[in-house]
Amino acid sequence: MPSVQALSSTPSDVPQIVPHALLPFLRSQSQNTLTRLYQRPSSCLSILRLLGPLERQLIMNLLWLESAIPVSTMAAWVVPDGKKLYSEALSVLVGLHIVQNSTVKLALNPTLKSSLRQAITGGGTTASFGVPAERDEKRLPVGIDSLDAYALERWETILHYMVSSGQEQLPTKPSQGVLYLLQRSGLMQSTNGSNLQITSAGFQFLLHSPHDQLWSLLLQYLHMAEERQMDLVEVLSFLFMLSTMELGRNHHSCSQEYTADSLSETQKAMLEDLRDYGLIWQRKGSSKYFSPTRLATTLTCHSPPLPTSTTPGTSATTSSTEVALSSTAGPQGFIILETNYRVYAYTNNPLQTAVLNLFVTMKYRFPNLVVGMLTRDSVRRALGNGITADQIISYLVAHAHPQMRKNNPLLPVTVQDQIRLWELERNRLKSAEGFLYKDFASQADYEYVLAYAKQLGVVLWESPAKRSFFGTLEGHANIRGFIERRSGAS
Amino acid sequence: MRAIKGVLLTCDTAVKQILLAMNEKDPFIIEDLDDYHIVIKADEEYRVRKVLEVELEKNTYSLEAS
Repeated sequence: MPSVQALSSTPSDVPQIVPHALLPFLRSQSQNTLTRLYQRPSSCLSILRLLGPLERQLIMNLLWLESAIPVSTMAAWVVPDGKKLYSEALSVLVGLHIVQNSTVKLALNPTLKSSLRQAITGGGTTASFGVPAERDEKRLPVGIDSLDAYALERWETILHYMVSSGQEQLPTKPSQGVLYLLQRSGLMQSTNGSNLQITSAGFQFLLHSPHDQLWSLLLQYLHMAEERQMDLVEVLSFLFMLSTMELGRNHHSCSQEYTADSLSETQKAMLEDLRDYGLIWQRKGSSKYFSPTRLATTLTCHSPPLPTSTTPGTSATTSSTEVALSSTAGPQGFIILETNYRVYAYTNNPLQTAVLNLFVTMKYRFPNLVVGMLTRDSVRRALGNGITADQIISYLVAHAHPQMRKNNPLLPVTVQDQIRLWELERNRLKSAEGFLYKDFASQADYEYVLAYAKQLGVVLWESPAKRSFFGTLEGHANIRGFIERRSGAS
Repeated sequence: MRAIKGVLLTCDTAVKQILLAMNEKDPFIIEDLDDYHIVIKADEEYRVRKVLEVELEKNTYSLEAS
């Protein structure tokens, strides 16, 4: 059985309801593609998990109805305050072709309905949840600990390569496929010469949570799949299949292997790519079996995708309460920020240190602790790299040490304000190209032209006393035309 | 009526005074509009920003340097 429990563990403890990054991509697909995707129970279950609580609620209400219900009946359940939320949720569902577009009756897409029912009640032989491999005495099962270690090593190799690309030291290079993906997603680029350099988008990427990072890479992978003539339905459904697979199914300490025999050709080709990203573990490159890692099995739920690197492989069932803000640090934060701008980071992870180094001046390093300081120079360097003040602050909040969580507000206000001030300081001068219009013959002339320019919305500055105004570059052609027509007419 | 091509700079008064001082050495200002706005030659913007940056840096002190 696939784990359905993730459904119930997701809702209320996640404070912000930001639509998942994959949903806009799905919405851009044709109805045909989506319906083919909905033929697979695992895909339906995964998409259900990605949706917001209200959308999930609506689907579950409609799921067991045999016939369509009138829109008015459904609307009668909605209190006036919830009208807006309800219609938004409904339009999301219609956009994904989950609910059929009709103004009279509401019904689920029949394909989705039968698949989702199957996902929940079990049964069927679609193999959409993957086919477990036969237990074989010769193949020793691999432990969850080593799977976690593998996923972590892969993932941190990618991030570490990105973060240290601007520096002299050369870390381990990820595979060619990963490098290409990083380049295509605009996170890195090679300027002069062949060495890849991290871009400002890349710097911002580093401060996101692993779940977001993973999905933004996978989204790029999906875009590339379209270009590589891969069948998108196959690619998506394989990702969804992985996300519903289980980590450590039979034993509590051993991972479940799945057989690759039932996969399509496209999906077999994906095995290699996903192995490079650390989503899949295989004994050998040619192995007929594979195991999903934690990165893969948490794709569609809110559990942390990576175990803490300092204490690898904590219990397999990490509580899902604290994970909303979790990141590479796992559920435990590690950063203490004091009012005197000092930063104490309890970590021995070179990646975390390197990420901090983006905006902190490092002072001392101890076996389990890094001490640094937020300075004007270090923050300006980060701002120059394209990182915003808000990103720095939200990174510090997301990784704050449990001790810090007793404070209210979490971060010292002085430091937050100063980081924002440093950002503002960079923007003391705003510039806009355009034309200065002056020396009007009469006040009436001036007001007449100004009124026209204002109508176009291109006026940046005006002074009736000086009888002149400044318009943007875009508005110039129109204004000139207007004046010429006017002087021609008179 | 005349239309003059240029770049509108919006800044605080302190920055404007620095710009005015810079202009004495190496003129680039087309029109001084008011306390917060001036129009400069379009191709001078990059240079002006650079010089201004250096000028502003002179007025900041960091703990690191000491």
